Amino acid sequence: MKKNNGFLFSLPVILLVLIFFVYPLFDVFRISFMEWTVIGTKKYIGFSNYLKTFQEFEFWQSLSNTLIYTIMVTPLIFIPALLAAILLKSNNTRNSILRTIFFIPCTISLVASSYIWNWLLNDSYGIFNYFFIKMGFVSEGINWFSSTWSARVIICISVAWKTFGFSMIFILAGLSSISPDIYEAAEIDGCNKKRAFFSITLPLVKPTLMLALILSIAGSFKGFDQFLIMTGGGPMRTTQPIIMYINKVAFNAYDMGRSAAISVLFLLILLFVSYQQIRLGGYYDDD
Amino acid sequence: MMTIKKKNITKEIFVYLIFIILSAIFLFPIYWTFITAFKPSAEILKYPPRLIPATCTLDQFNKLFTAGNGVFLQYIKNTVIITIGTILLVLFIIIPCSFSFALLPYKGQKIIFILVLSIIMVPFQSLLVPLYNLLTKLKLFNTKIGIILIYSTFFMPFCIFMMRNAFKQLPKAIYESALLDGAGDFMIMMKIYLPLCIPSVVSCIIYLFINGWNDFILSFIFSSSDKVRNIQVGINLFGKERFTSDWGIINTGTVIAIIPTVILFIILQKYYVQGMTTGAVKE
Repeated sequence: MKKNNGFLFSLPVILLVLIFFVYPLFDVFRISFMEWTVIGTKKYIGFSNYLKTFQEFEFWQSLSNTLIYTIMVTPLIFIPALLAAILLKSNNTRNSILRTIFFIPCTISLVASSYIWNWLLNDSYGIFNYFFIKMGFVSEGINWFSSTWSARVIICISVAWKTFGFSMIFILAGLSSISPDIYEAAEIDGCNKKRAFFSITLPLVKPTLMLALILSIAGSFKGFDQFLIMTGGGPMRTTQPIIMYINKVAFNAYDMGRSAAISVLFLLILLFVSYQQIRLGGYYDDD
Repeated sequence: MMTIKKKNITKEIFVYLIFIILSAIFLFPIYWTFITAFKPSAEILKYPPRLIPATCTLDQFNKLFTAGNGVFLQYIKNTVIITIGTILLVLFIIIPCSFSFALLPYKGQKIIFILVLSIIMVPFQSLLVPLYNLLTKLKLFNTKIGIILIYSTFFMPFCIFMMRNAFKQLPKAIYESALLDGAGDFMIMMKIYLPLCIPSVVSCIIYLFINGWNDFILSFIFSSSDKVRNIQVGINLFGKERFTSDWGIINTGTVIAIIPTVILFIILQKYYVQGMTTGAVKE
C-alpha cells in the first residue's frame, strides 16, 4: 500500500462521524446508567433505569403498540407493492405513468400525508364521512380516532398509501435485473408462465424482496410523526409508539437517564433488523 | 379479422378506464387537500362538500402568510437554508471521502467504512437524548448549524455508499495514467472522476433535499424557536396549537410543504429512483 492522500480525503467525514455518531452512541449507554433529572442531579445508579423501565406498564404498552403497528402495516405496504411491481413490470408509457403516480406520495412528508388523511376523515367536515353517510353505512360523522382499532387502521392505511410506492420501485428494480434470456431459455424448454414465475422470478428476486421487507419493517419500528399528528398517541396511549415514549420521558418528564435506557433497549431490538438490511443491501462487499 | 381488432380495442379501452379510475382514487387525497387550499373559508366547511370548488381564491394563502407576522414564511426560509446547507456540507465532505474509499486505500480505511455504514444500522431515533446533550454542550441547540450537522451525519452514509459505487465503476486505469501524467489526487478527482459521476451527484442532491425538507422529528426536538423550526414542525404547530381546526390554513401549509419535493421528483425522477434503489440489486 503506497502512501496517498486517502486519509486526508476522508478526514472531514471521520470527524463528523466521531463527534455526531460515535460519541452519542457511547453517551446513550453512559446516560442510561445515570440518574439525570431536570433538577440537575447526575449520578451513576447502575441498572436502576432499566429495572424501572421493565416495571413500567407504559413501556410494554408502547412496545406492543409498535409491534402491532408493524404487523398491521407491513402486509398493507408489501402486498400492493408486490402486485403493482408485477403488473407494471413491462416498460411502456402507461406503466411508467402509473409508476410515477404511485410513487408521488413517497416524496411528500409524513406530516403532510397525516394532515391530508386527518382532513379526509374529519368527523364534521371530512369528505369520507359524507360518503359513508350518503351510502348509508353510518347515520352521522364518526370520529375515527376515538377508538383504538379504527385509529390504528386509519394510520396504517395512510402510511401504506404514502409508502407502498417505495417498496414497489425496489421490487421493480429487482425484477428488471433478471435477464430476459433466462425466460427465453425456459420457454424453449417448455416452461409455462406460472411455472416461470414460481421457479425463476421468485427465487431470483427473493433477496430484493427481503430487503424491501426489511426496510419497511425498520421504517415502521421508527414510526413517530404519523402517530403524533394523527392521534397524538391516543386514545388512552393505545397508539403511542416507542419513539413517542422515549421522547416523552426525555423532554416532557425530563428523565434523561430513563429515556436513554429505553433508547438502548430500542436500539438493541432494532439492531437485528438493521443488520439484515446491511447484509441484504450489499452495502459491505469485500472485494 | 375485424372481430379480433374490435375485441382488442374494447379490451384496451377497458384497461385504460381501470387505469384512470385507479389513478384518480389514488391521487384523490392530494387533490382534496389542493382544492381545499383554494376554497374560500365558508366553502371549506360547507356540507355537502363540493368536489369541484365553486369559486377559487387565494384567501387561504393570504391568511397563512400573514398569520403571526408572517411566521410561516420564516419556517419556509429556515427549511430552505437548512436543506441547502445540508446539501452543500454533505457534498463537500463526502465526495473526497467516497473517492478515497474507491481509489485511495489507507490503513484503517475498512474500519472507517464500517463505521459509516453502521450509521445506517443505528437509527438516530435512539440517539435523541445524547444528541440533545451534545448540542447543548456545543451551544448548538436551537441553531440552524446544529440541525445541519445532525442531518449531515445521518443522511450522508447512503450518499457515501452511492458515490463510492459510482467512482468504483470507472476503470482504475484512468487514475493510474493520470497519476503518471503528474496530476495530483485532488485534480484527478475534480477534473476527471467527478464530471463522469454527475448523475450520482444529482441523485445525492435529490435524496438529501427530500430527506431534509421532509424531516419532522429532528427539527421538532432540536429546535425551540420560530427562528429555527422547519416547515413540517411549523405546520404541526399551526394545526395543533395556533390554528386548531382551521382546515383552510392547515391544508394550505400542507400544499406548500408538498410542492417542492413532488416537482423535484417529477422532473428528476430517473436520478431519484436510481439513487433510491442503490443496494436493491446486488451486482
